[in-house]
Amino acid sequence: MDQGAGIRVTSGERTTYANGNVADVDDLIALAGRAARSVADGGELHEATPPEPDSVPRHSTVAIDPRSVAVERKLGLLRRANEVARGLDPRVQQVTASYGESVQEILIANSDGLLRTDTRVRLNLAVHVVAKQGEVLESGFEALRGTAGFEMLTDQAVEQAATDATRRAVLNVGADPAPAGTYTVVLSSEAGGTLIHESVGHGLEADLNLKGLSVYSGRIGQKVASELITVIDDGTDPDRRGTSAIDDEGTPTNRTVLIENGILRTYLSDRKHAEKLGIPRSGNGRRESFRYLPICRMTNTMIARGTSEPAEILRSVKDGVFVKKMGGGQVDVVSGNFAFEITECYRIRDGKLAEPLRGATLVGQGPKLMSEIDMVGSDLGYSTGTCGKDGQGAPVADAQPTIRIPSVVVGGKLK
Amino acid sequence: MSERLTNEATVDTALDALRSLGVATGEVFLREAQSGSVEIKEGAIESAIARGERGVGIRVLDEQRLGFAYTSDLSADGIRTCADTARRMSGVTEADPDLALAKKAIDDADLDIYQAGVVDRPLAERGAVALTVEEAARAVDPRIRQFRKTTYSDSESTTIIATTTGVRASYRESYCGVMTSAVATETSPGGERQVGYHGEAARRFAELDPVRVGQRAAQRAVEKLGSRPLATQKLPVVLDPWMAMDLLRAIGPLFSADNVLKGRSLFAGKVGQRVANEKITIVDDARKPRGLRSAPFDGEGVATTTRTLIDRGSLRGYLTSLKTASKLHIDPSGNARRGGYGSPARIGPSNLFVAAGSDDAEGIVRGLDHALAVTSLLNLHTIDPVSGEFSLGATGNYLERGGRVHPAEGITIAGNLTHLLGAVVGVGNDLVFGPGGLGSPTLVISELSIGGA
Repeated sequence: MDQGAGIRVTSGERTTYANGNVADVDDLIALAGRAARSVADGGELHEATPPEPDSVPRHSTVAIDPRSVAVERKLGLLRRANEVARGLDPRVQQVTASYGESVQEILIANSDGLLRTDTRVRLNLAVHVVAKQGEVLESGFEALRGTAGFEMLTDQAVEQAATDATRRAVLNVGADPAPAGTYTVVLSSEAGGTLIHESVGHGLEADLNLKGLSVYSGRIGQKVASELITVIDDGTDPDRRGTSAIDDEGTPTNRTVLIENGILRTYLSDRKHAEKLGIPRSGNGRRESFRYLPICRMTNTMIARGTSEPAEILRSVKDGVFVKKMGGGQVDVVSGNFAFEITECYRIRDGKLAEPLRGATLVGQGPKLMSEIDMVGSDLGYSTGTCGKDGQGAPVADAQPTIRIPSVVVGGKLK
Repeated sequence: MSERLTNEATVDTALDALRSLGVATGEVFLREAQSGSVEIKEGAIESAIARGERGVGIRVLDEQRLGFAYTSDLSADGIRTCADTARRMSGVTEADPDLALAKKAIDDADLDIYQAGVVDRPLAERGAVALTVEEAARAVDPRIRQFRKTTYSDSESTTIIATTTGVRASYRESYCGVMTSAVATETSPGGERQVGYHGEAARRFAELDPVRVGQRAAQRAVEKLGSRPLATQKLPVVLDPWMAMDLLRAIGPLFSADNVLKGRSLFAGKVGQRVANEKITIVDDARKPRGLRSAPFDGEGVATTTRTLIDRGSLRGYLTSLKTASKLHIDPSGNARRGGYGSPARIGPSNLFVAAGSDDAEGIVRGLDHALAVTSLLNLHTIDPVSGEFSLGATGNYLERGGRVHPAEGITIAGNLTHLLGAVVGVGNDLVFGPGGLGSPTLVISELSIGGA
């Protein structure tokens, strides 16, 4: 149990934030004094509007509160994951299954009279499998994560996660190292949305754009991607990992169209940056906990569905690489250069999946890649993760349809 | 205000709670920290954060089963509830005969890791450090005109551990650091923009060198201007100390006895064997005076040590906790580290460094027809300690006989950590320590796969 509060005072261009563990109202008053101290000289304090509670729509349902579920039941799921993984293949050497639950109770009040609360129940069940063949060790990973009740963790879902993690580890120990070079790449919808998160999403955060430092700065209304590309950030998508009723400044979350048919429409904002840039508040001021100031960041980010048949996209490639699952990624937002890990991929030969490849990565430059995508599928697949920015972690989800990139650098080894 | 107990009295209350619950053995870990950070924008302080934290983590070991709980509610009730949760959790976990709580007394080592008053400096003085960084960066090149972020941060904390098995010890530590991401913009219209990051930290305020931080970040940004793709090929790779530290961080988990015992490390079963080029010696030194990760004891109350992990290419041993040391029938190394009162102990390095070599790194590079000197690595967090495989985004300088031909971006470097350690053909005499207690001299790798155009 960790209980605390943060008091933010703004005066002109300066923000002061004092935070800490608090047990009672006296602790809170002491914190407020600390926050106010550095702006007290010369700063003019205005009368605060008395807070008026109101309610906003909730986007997650919690039928079963995880705190009411016996530890034995949770351990049972982990044991089941372990049994399933070990039973699938003799090359499985090690299985690590973990379960985590977090319940965040949030209250936000400000001197404009806002007073809102939110409860975020988040679950995370992860399965990590190590397989060994000869001297080669490889791992496979799958996780079930959401802002939802314990009902999301069905036996069937847990068994599927264990199966997927095992299949990936076993596939990779038998796979050839990925060849380095430039290829046509098909990203399956199953691969998840790391690409959109890294290559575009971070560059659309308003704080960076106010400084004029993003590759997307000053480009609202301009074409920044192929007309096949529409990008949406949706903090209201029910039960997803990045979903909440309000952001961490009390602004209700939104479904924000960031890029519409290739045209940049807006940025992801918190209160301060929405005001400075003259754009609507998008409800993207998020913080890891009371220990941090809010910063502009994504919730659930996706490339919207297109019209191509996924099977037809695969058939269209004579020689290339098919990415079935992506792992973690990182972007240098100033240059737009990004890299992400591929955890399951195959060679494409004559429009069909051929041999599996391991140890691949994809690198590129966000706007360039987005303008080159030439097929977008009618399907949609999700992945989940924890996004890191300025030392704060935030739970997010990403999604995309199957897409084709005509030419992109794939990292790997040379014989 | 509810009466605030001292840290020592809080620990006593928790120990009493454990005894009154009738648990066989228990441990109390308390952390109190005051920390702050200052961020600047356009020559003025933009934000200042002051942070306080105080809480306890309680572990119960009963019938060889371990339970853990933590709380920031340090009222008598809050502490009792936490102790009881830890007791209940010990009832549902798996028994392990090797689990143990610390019993040995901890020696009195002065590691010089605390300077009083670091967090009490006036805001203006702390902001001035960050302003100095930006001034120094601007002075390097007129194309340095903006900063993605420049932050000064500091902290002071107290750690206490006490067990019902007779161990009780505490220490205080201080920390301050400054970092920046300088942005270089080419003067032509719609000019190319590149960012350069650098950060340093110290235990004492006077040991921070903000000018050096600004200069290095600026140089990193400016040297990337004019980047071009590079053809796919194999090339020798030069890692300056800071880039080498990034890779060393990824190698750290391979030494964890927990990973070794679970078959999740490349180094499992390799003690006494050659795992790296004979030029490589890697040391974990928790007792380094003023070291950023130095501490007299670890998160289980075990005295820390200095260990040579790889001695001239041969693996000498692992980093251990009480449990893993017992399984391996060796003395614990004191590497069960805790991030805070809310996290259970996990095995990790303290000050992990590659020992200085005797090579003139520049001389080696001049002897190479072609090479890539890496200037940034993307996606280091995806290196798999199990397989050792890595495939990273990178930028670098393409060199011919030590001279720079052009900077490169949009490339990948790939390989395997085992191969990489074996392929180190040059170890410089320029050992530097950086944030996170990591240290390394310049390393020259004979060959890695470069992915590009």
